[in-house]
Amino acid sequence: MNLLRLLLGIVALGFAAATVLPAQSGWEKSLVSIEVTSKVYDAFQPWNDPTRAVRKHGLVIGPGEVLTTAQSLPTHTLVRLQKGGRGRWYDARVTWWDAQSNLALLTTDVPAFWEGLQPALLAEPISRGPDFGLLRWRDGNLEERRVEFGQFKVGESVIGFAPHVQMEVSADLSGLGWAEPIVREGRVLGLTTHSNGRVCGVLPATFISRVLAAHRAGTFNGLGYFDFTWQPGGNPELLKQLGLEGPPRGGVVNRPGHVTDPEKAPQPRDIILAVDGFEVDSEGDYLDPDFGHLMMENLANRAHFAGGTVKLKLRRGREERTIDYVLPVARFADELVPREVFGAPPVYLMTGGLVFQPLTQPFLRGWGEEWRKYAPFRLQYYQYADARDRRASLVVLTGILPDEINLGYEDADLIVLDRVNGRVIATLADLAEALKTASPGGVHRFEFMPGHNLQRLFLDAATLDEATRRVVEHYGLPAAARF
Amino acid sequence: MVTRRGAVWFGALVLAWFGWGAALRAEEVAPEQAVVQILTYSQVPEFDSPWRFEAVQHSAGTGFVIAGGRIMTNAHVIAWAKQILVRRYQDPRLLPARVVFAGHDCDLAVLELEDPAQLAGVPPLSFGELPPVQSTVVTCGYPAGGDQMSFTRGVVSRIEVQPYAHAGNRALLAVQTDAAINPGNSGGPVFQGDKVIGVAFQGIPGLQNAGFFIPPEVVGHFLKDIADGHYDGFPQVGVTLEPLQNAAYRRVLGLGDDGRGARVDALRAGGPAAQVLQADDVLLEAGGYPVGSDGMISYQGNRVAVGVAFQQPQAGEALKLSVLREGRTFEVEVKMEAYDGDRLAGRQYEQPPRYVIHAGLVFTPLSADYLESSRARSRDFLSEPLAELTYQLYHLAAEAPEAVRPETVVLSGILPHAVNADFAVRGLAVVNRINGVRIERLEDVRRALLENKSERHLFEFNRPDHAVLDALDRAAASAAHTEILRTYGIVSDQRL
Repeated sequence: MNLLRLLLGIVALGFAAATVLPAQSGWEKSLVSIEVTSKVYDAFQPWNDPTRAVRKHGLVIGPGEVLTTAQSLPTHTLVRLQKGGRGRWYDARVTWWDAQSNLALLTTDVPAFWEGLQPALLAEPISRGPDFGLLRWRDGNLEERRVEFGQFKVGESVIGFAPHVQMEVSADLSGLGWAEPIVREGRVLGLTTHSNGRVCGVLPATFISRVLAAHRAGTFNGLGYFDFTWQPGGNPELLKQLGLEGPPRGGVVNRPGHVTDPEKAPQPRDIILAVDGFEVDSEGDYLDPDFGHLMMENLANRAHFAGGTVKLKLRRGREERTIDYVLPVARFADELVPREVFGAPPVYLMTGGLVFQPLTQPFLRGWGEEWRKYAPFRLQYYQYADARDRRASLVVLTGILPDEINLGYEDADLIVLDRVNGRVIATLADLAEALKTASPGGVHRFEFMPGHNLQRLFLDAATLDEATRRVVEHYGLPAAARF
Repeated sequence: MVTRRGAVWFGALVLAWFGWGAALRAEEVAPEQAVVQILTYSQVPEFDSPWRFEAVQHSAGTGFVIAGGRIMTNAHVIAWAKQILVRRYQDPRLLPARVVFAGHDCDLAVLELEDPAQLAGVPPLSFGELPPVQSTVVTCGYPAGGDQMSFTRGVVSRIEVQPYAHAGNRALLAVQTDAAINPGNSGGPVFQGDKVIGVAFQGIPGLQNAGFFIPPEVVGHFLKDIADGHYDGFPQVGVTLEPLQNAAYRRVLGLGDDGRGARVDALRAGGPAAQVLQADDVLLEAGGYPVGSDGMISYQGNRVAVGVAFQQPQAGEALKLSVLREGRTFEVEVKMEAYDGDRLAGRQYEQPPRYVIHAGLVFTPLSADYLESSRARSRDFLSEPLAELTYQLYHLAAEAPEAVRPETVVLSGILPHAVNADFAVRGLAVVNRINGVRIERLEDVRRALLENKSERHLFEFNRPDHAVLDALDRAAASAAHTEILRTYGIVSDQRL
């Protein structure tokens, strides 16, 4: 009886806790740990370069090649690899990363690291479960936890905005999203990217394989996307109004993209009936042979990438036509308020104690986890609507470093520049150029967007350079500007 | 309205007390016998379901008898009242009362008993002057925590312009005191000797020993306003003034370092100030008060925002300004105007929200109250629809006055029925056009629907930078209309 209780206890323990894999499982030869030290953006003192270190996972996928997610890597200062979950850390290099697909490749030049490692195999196609394993190194042990398949869906990546297919799994675990591999029957099904409660987002292996293949072939120009917006064609009365009889279907275009030629891009009130031969249903979805019903946005990257052409079958008025739509590349810099700024340190320009920065989402995220609640509404609204004059980017007065030259302006901040000395300002370079020539009266005239809290301010031109130097020294800035 | 940049709009707490006890102690002490307890049963509309009201609430506040056999209290004490009862000092009877005037911008109201003879023997209280800072004051009222009249003593802590929480978008002169002012004190008199020198009205959550009362200046303005039998409200001239303390800016505008003048930063298009002022005019005096470079005036020994000078005249009167423009000083008069163009951006009272319902589609004006009720139901604080509503309500007028509609209309929600089941937009949407008619006010919705003779109604809703389309079968919508009203128990399909 006691032995039976003991056995039952052991069995129960086995279900409740993680399974520590035996050394011969094989995964320990493919799954490696990555330590990334990266710069963190200080929204209110952009000249500061604080860093943070995170640990995530990577998979050996080929000779001298470790695959992981791109998160934390674009601003890295140090990357190291560790195998076997313990022991020596090896200095590593990022050989490639892409934010929109959220993928990165690493390597190390230390031969000893690669000894005993073997490539993991990416699964294709991906089965729907029901159960998968999740692997992670934890306290030096390789742990496999059970996760449940949720669904395939289309969404933006954690650090990009081009929609693509993703997988959702459920796990009774917290702190996931650090590129832990999801596995089944010896194959990798995907890498985790984020978690929200029990739901964990996963980048599917099929998507990863396509991007890597294109990258290796030198044909990957980045993810594409539909730069127009549409609404599901679920209302038959609306479709009839637009000239389409029959059952509800398709997507009704409600905002055009950047290409205005109606022969090359859909126009408002067009109904998109099919994309690349896949019929679009009344939800705006198509039936994917691998993943089931997915939002048609996925067709921008299912068989193409940026620069590729998709065939859009449209209903335009009483006519049906097919156009070749060239997929634009998803670039943060093309957004009025870029969601990310990678590839260069945060830029700023301080003049006379007035600190200017580009309006970006990283700046808005300076208000913390609940930035959407607390960041200034008017600045956030630029994410939804273009500036009235359609300028491509915006510059914000983000703060004042008090000095005698800016006395009286101490409370002026978080307003968007319109003009300086009469010149329209879209970038810090515009601002620097505008400051080369003062306005009449020996002042620099700063004008802010109509309706913002403050409309104008002046700085004395004759003493501005001296004041800027004084502020740099007084507040310990490394430089007055970086852009 | 005269505003200064940097004014902090905080979550002030109006001080009506919800719930009350019974019975008063028998003791007569003048002038307390003129102080009454006000018991209110109120019903607030549901702004996103504008045909109905929330459950009846009961609350308690304080009031006091003034000349003419009337009772003064706070507007928030009687807001949305269905029944008002007054309990006199040491009198067990509940005396029905009604609102004669309510100034929601200044949070003051005047009541009358249904039987005015019940106040016949009560000597009215009279008003004193603005008390000096540090002088002692005594509050009197019926705050929560007991049934009897309560007195607290304190000093005048400071006097300055404060946001009036009841209105939501108005700031007037207010007096801060450390005398305890608690829920239930609202509308009660603040005494100095036997004179009323204020009306208790709000506190600030989290701030210790800080209550606020409405000073005699504001009370006097209100009483003078209603003397003609109509309340116009505090004037708003539509100018935004900024301090003028920067040496370079002062030099550009022709001023030395003498501490004089605030500059005009922005003007409301079409407002009275825009008729006589222009951007970067320097305001040297307002109503005879010299204006400092900090945007303040000296008012009875207190440094307060220049807005106080603009709040002295009544609507229709003129205020004399001394202005410096391009090196020349001149005087102008600005005619004061009781502006209500921003009414929907503040709190609404007295008039329940307007609406039109057709085939289950509920249309109502965009307002702060509607937005707040919608936000409360939204999980995403700044979804694209909510962002558009917020922008339209609070920012569009300042940024693009030419695009502002007299009354922005929203599709508030949909009463589900087969006829509208496929309608994709389910609420939170600014109505741009219906059947090609630009919707400038709620009446346009009705007209656009009634006058349409085509097969379908076509709706265009505003989203940032684009429009969302939707449609209804016209004949089916008309056929289902009455049934939908009946199903959802709606008596009328419009309140216009």
